[in-house]
Amino acid sequence: MVDFVEIYNNPWFRSLIGLVFVGLIFLFGMIAVWMERKIAGDIQHRIGPNRVGKFGVLQLVADAIKLFTKEDIIPIKADRVLFVAAPMVMLGSVFLMLAAIPFGAVVINDTVYPIVAAEMDISLLYIQAMSSISLVGIFMAAYGSNNKYSLIGAFRNFARMVGYEVPLIISVISVAIMANSLDIIEIVKIQDPIWYIVLQPIGFIVFFVASMSEMGRLPFDQTEAEEELVAGWVTEYSGMRFGLGFFAEYMHVVLGSFLISLLFLGGWNIPGFIPGALTANPVLGFIVPTAVLLGKAAVVMIFILMFRWAVPRFRIDQVVDLSWKKLFPLSVLNLVWVIAFTLYMGV
Amino acid sequence: MAGIIDSYIPVAIILVVAIIMPFITMFIVNVLSPRSSGETKFDTYESGSDPTGEARIQFKVEYYLYAISFVIFDVAVLFMFPWSVVFVGYDIAALLTIELLIFITVLLFGFVYLWKKEGLQWEK
Repeated sequence: MVDFVEIYNNPWFRSLIGLVFVGLIFLFGMIAVWMERKIAGDIQHRIGPNRVGKFGVLQLVADAIKLFTKEDIIPIKADRVLFVAAPMVMLGSVFLMLAAIPFGAVVINDTVYPIVAAEMDISLLYIQAMSSISLVGIFMAAYGSNNKYSLIGAFRNFARMVGYEVPLIISVISVAIMANSLDIIEIVKIQDPIWYIVLQPIGFIVFFVASMSEMGRLPFDQTEAEEELVAGWVTEYSGMRFGLGFFAEYMHVVLGSFLISLLFLGGWNIPGFIPGALTANPVLGFIVPTAVLLGKAAVVMIFILMFRWAVPRFRIDQVVDLSWKKLFPLSVLNLVWVIAFTLYMGV
Repeated sequence: MAGIIDSYIPVAIILVVAIIMPFITMFIVNVLSPRSSGETKFDTYESGSDPTGEARIQFKVEYYLYAISFVIFDVAVLFMFPWSVVFVGYDIAALLTIELLIFITVLLFGFVYLWKKEGLQWEK
C-alpha cells in the first residue's frame, strides 16, 4: 500500500496520467461530435450519421481522414504567424485546462485518491485562466485571416466574453468561499452529503449559462453565426487547421461539462454514498466513483447539446444585455447569500 | 517547495505535447495532401465577389469604453480570489469581509452608473 501512494505521488507517473488524458480527451471529443450529430438528427426527425460503422460511430474517423488529405491553404492577405498559431493556442488552452481537472477517483481504505494530472492549491484559478486563453486564440485567428466576417465574429466574441467572464468568476468565487478552498479536489470532497446545486441554485444557473457562453454553444454562437457571418472566425480556415480549432471547441465543451459536474453536481459523490461502505469490495471502490463522475459529465453534456435545438439564437445585443443586466446582479446576489450562509454556518 | 514544483511537472509536459502535436499533424497533412495550382484560391473569401479593401478597420469607440468597464470589474473580481480562501478560520476574516463588502458596494454604484449611462449596451 505504501508503494501505491509513492507511485501515486510521483510527478512522472502523474505526467503519464496527463498524457493518457490527452488521448482520452480526443476520444471524448469524438464522442461529443458524434452525439451532437445523432441528437440533432433525433430532434429533427432525421437519422443522422449511419453509414460509417455501427450507428455511424466511425463518422468522425472518416472526417479526420478526409481532413488529413486536404491541401493546407493560407490566404495571401493573411498574417501567416497569427494564422498558423491560432489553432495551436486554442488546443494548448484546452490541454493545459485538462491538466488540473480530475477525471475520476479511486477509493481505497476510506481514502479518496483523485485521478488527476496536476494537483495544486489554486487549481480553480488555474483552470479559469487557461480556459480564457482560447479567447485570445479566436481573436488571433480572426485578425490573422484578414477577413471581414472573421473580424466581425471576433469583435462580437470579445464583447460576449467581456460580459460573461465577470459573472462566471464571481460564481466560481462563491463556490470557493463555501468550500473554503480553491482546490477543485477539496471542493468535490466537501460536497459529500449535499451538492452545491442545492446550496447555491442561483450560482449554478449563472455558472451554467456563463460557461455555455464561454464554450460558444448555441444560443451563444454569435462568433460563428452561420446564418449571418458565413462561418465567423473560421471563415478562412480549411483542412486540418480548421479541424484543430473545431476540435478544440468540442473538447472545451467536454471539459466544461466536467467542470459543471465537479463544482456543482458533487463530482464523484452520490448522496448516501459512503466511501467506507465500499472498502469491503475494493473493485467497487475502483470503478464506482469514476463511473459516477463520467455519467454526470455525460448527462450535462447531452443537456448542453440538446439546448442548441430547444432555444432560439440570441442577437448580440441581447447577449450583452443578458450578461450585464441579469447574470451579473444574480451572481452578486449569490455571492451575498454565500457570505451570509458561510458566516452563519462557519467560524 | 519540491511539492509545488512537482505538481507543475505534468503541466510542463502537457504544454510540450500541446506545442509539438499541431506541428506533427501539419507535417502529416503536408505529406498526404495534394497540391494544385491556381491564383484565386489564396484570395480572401467574400461571398464570391472580389474582395475589396482591408478587413482591419477602425471599430466604433464605444466598444473600447465597454472593454475598459470590463477591465475595472475583472480586476475587482481578481481581488476576491485571495479573500475567498481566508474566509473561515482566520482572525482577519471578519475585517476583510467588511472591507470587501464595502468594496463590492462601491463597485455596484459604478455598475448602476454605467447602466444609467447606457455604457453596457451594444448599440445606443
